Amino acid sequence: MRVARSMKDLAVETSGLTKDYGNGRGIFDLDLSVAVGEVFGFLGPNGAGKTTTIRLLMGLIHATSGSARIFGLDSDRDSVAVKGKVGYCPGELPQFGGWRGSEIVTYIAGLRGDVRDSAVTSLAQRLDLDLGRKYREYSHGNKQKLALVLAFMHEPALVILDEPTTGLDPLHQQEFYGIVRDARERGATIFISSHVLSEVEHVCDRVGIVREGRLATVSALEDLIGMRAFRVDIDFADAVPVDRLRAVEGLEQLEITDHRATGLLRGTFEPLMDAIAGTRVVGLTSREPTLEEIFLTYYR
Amino acid sequence: MTLFRVALKQQTVGLIAMVIGGVLGGVLNALAFVQLAGATEPERAAFAQQMAVLGAQLSYMLPAPVRLDTLGGYLEWRLFGLMALVFGVWAAISASGSGRGDEERGLVEQWIAAGISRARYLVSRVAVFAAIAVVVIGAMLGLILLSARGEPLAAADLLAMGVNLFATTLCCFGIALLIAQLVATRRNAAGTTAGVLIALFLVNGAGRTSDVGPIRWLSPFYLFERSRPLTGAGALDPIGVGVLLGAAAILTAVGVVAFARRDLGGTALPRRTDRHRVTRSPSVDPLLRLPVIAPLRQQIDWVASWLIAFVALSGFMISITRSIVDALTSSAVPFLRAYFERAGLNAYDAFVGIIWLSTATLLLSIYAITQVASWSADDAEGRLATMLSAPISRTRVIVERLATLLVAVALIAAASSVAVYVAAARQDIPLDRGRVALAATLLLTIPFAFGSIGQLVAVWRPRIAVVALSAVAVFSYLVQQFAPLFGWPDWVANLSLYTLYGTPMSGEVKWSGVAGLVGIGVVASILSIAALRRRDVGA
Repeated sequence: MRVARSMKDLAVETSGLTKDYGNGRGIFDLDLSVAVGEVFGFLGPNGAGKTTTIRLLMGLIHATSGSARIFGLDSDRDSVAVKGKVGYCPGELPQFGGWRGSEIVTYIAGLRGDVRDSAVTSLAQRLDLDLGRKYREYSHGNKQKLALVLAFMHEPALVILDEPTTGLDPLHQQEFYGIVRDARERGATIFISSHVLSEVEHVCDRVGIVREGRLATVSALEDLIGMRAFRVDIDFADAVPVDRLRAVEGLEQLEITDHRATGLLRGTFEPLMDAIAGTRVVGLTSREPTLEEIFLTYYR
Repeated sequence: MTLFRVALKQQTVGLIAMVIGGVLGGVLNALAFVQLAGATEPERAAFAQQMAVLGAQLSYMLPAPVRLDTLGGYLEWRLFGLMALVFGVWAAISASGSGRGDEERGLVEQWIAAGISRARYLVSRVAVFAAIAVVVIGAMLGLILLSARGEPLAAADLLAMGVNLFATTLCCFGIALLIAQLVATRRNAAGTTAGVLIALFLVNGAGRTSDVGPIRWLSPFYLFERSRPLTGAGALDPIGVGVLLGAAAILTAVGVVAFARRDLGGTALPRRTDRHRVTRSPSVDPLLRLPVIAPLRQQIDWVASWLIAFVALSGFMISITRSIVDALTSSAVPFLRAYFERAGLNAYDAFVGIIWLSTATLLLSIYAITQVASWSADDAEGRLATMLSAPISRTRVIVERLATLLVAVALIAAASSVAVYVAAARQDIPLDRGRVALAATLLLTIPFAFGSIGQLVAVWRPRIAVVALSAVAVFSYLVQQFAPLFGWPDWVANLSLYTLYGTPMSGEVKWSGVAGLVGIGVVASILSIAALRRRDVGA
């Protein structure tokens, strides 16, 4: 799984990284490399170990064994130097009570010491974030925007983002992808965790998938596209055309109950639409399968 | 039943702390009576006479003494006069947690989403608190009875006192519950309620010596004081207890209704429209970028409130110095006179030192506890992880917290010492300027020691930090109070952080004690740094 690169080309490198919380919880023997300038997606279902990995990279928690290096520096031993190069958006947003957004930004900027006011303003404008409001009055989405401002405002060489689009509306999700692309263009490395495949498709070069605390695969994005599939539910007014559906290329896990057919469709919708042409369809829904469903398909 | 069990679990720490504090306070005061009052009838009569004189001087704080030649009279005056306030503050903290704390943590939203009505949620909290109050008061009274050692103290009289204290506690809970609906955060609710209760306590105190009019009826402490069951054969004032229970019921009901009608996260008061200009820029306040100053800037209102209260209290204490010292030094009881001399209470300037510094050390340790509460919250609410995502070391976090605490305390102590010096000069009490400055400077050692111990516990177990540090404060206070009375050896007395501070204005500076406080602070700080570096943050 590991990509052979010289250490100076690597933004993130973990070796046998393990954090064992007991009862199978945590992250185990993680070997991972992220190149400088790369946008790396870290995918996994809830509880897979994504946040634990990110906290290890940030030096917030200590590894049970193994090591993590950021730009060649040990993320634990050299954590102060590491964080000088890193921007971080946590998965769980902190509580700042009655502080105004502008005060929080200034306070954290004071701790960092390398923040341009114009960078803050630019980010706040792009995300349409009013920094004059009190934190406790922010909606969840606005709190998330503030966390993104704090992560990007010092234009770090590496940005580590833990499920960063949680709570953002689609418009601001797009703006967020734009911010990520701009950061990559100036040479930054992005490490972004998510549990939604389609989200990382927008911006990532490579994707690592973690499940039950272990790295299942690391693939280029185009390889993952092959994994794309849709969960399809079709309700018929009359009998389900079972034989025609069984013949559809790419339709798997087909289940028939009364007037309903359910299955997992790979590839395009065209063969399926041809198969149901001429029948009375009263309902058709398709959705992206969860990562767990993909795992059940690929890594059973 | 689930609601009841959850509420009970959340009150466990308060239950343990109040049982320990109540029992210790009750038992030690009961045991102290025999030591102080003597064994013979003439000794007790003389003791009662002198205490009555002293009681008149302490009327701003304690109820008028009655039958001080009996254990019941002594406890009613010395113990229960203050216990009403202690239980009131406990009720305020608990009600603030029920009325705001659970909401801040998102628990109320979960309960409501689970189909629990707001009224049912809050009523279950009230019921659990009432049940716990019964247990705490029962434990305290039971052990006082066991400690009476042959003194005539009827169980029925104590039971009546328990009912009176219970009614007062519930009334304070009701006040706090209602206030919690009017402010937005738990901290504001607890702070506002504590301020209101102290104001009502002082209103009652003022009413003992002057006519404050019907406003005194607003004070639950006045209503509490209307019953004197330990000196009145167990009789309760029906009006006092009735009004307390009625007020508790009405205030709680109004609080529940307000809670049911208001928005979650909002207040029951009409909301002011925030007319600020939309801004995309960071704050231009340069103080927010400076180490140590930035955290101080964020709590400037809090520090200013403490500073003003300290200055006012200092002036007040100096104003009553002459009359109290005159009362103390005229004691006809040899043991009592010796006790006051041992405590250094026999000269005006010495008394200023004692009363000011003992109050200051106690209050500054409470200030340190509030800061430790804030540090614990930093951890639980994710702010610590956010700070540590910036390029700062964990060592800096510990050092900066303590530095911020010491700068705030230095401001408060400096203002207070100036107020003491000026007020004493106006009372024709000459004070050595150098001694005042030295004593004020040495005050820093108390919050340093408390803050460092609290920091260590907050790093290790954030949830219990406040309770553990409060226990240290209560233990230190009790040892300081009772060590000279019972003639405990020095090593026991020196277990109190307050004893280590000594009496730098009235006697020789106890440098070994000061070194002890500094040593405790340094060692606890080093251990805190080591502990924070080893532990996981945000896990």
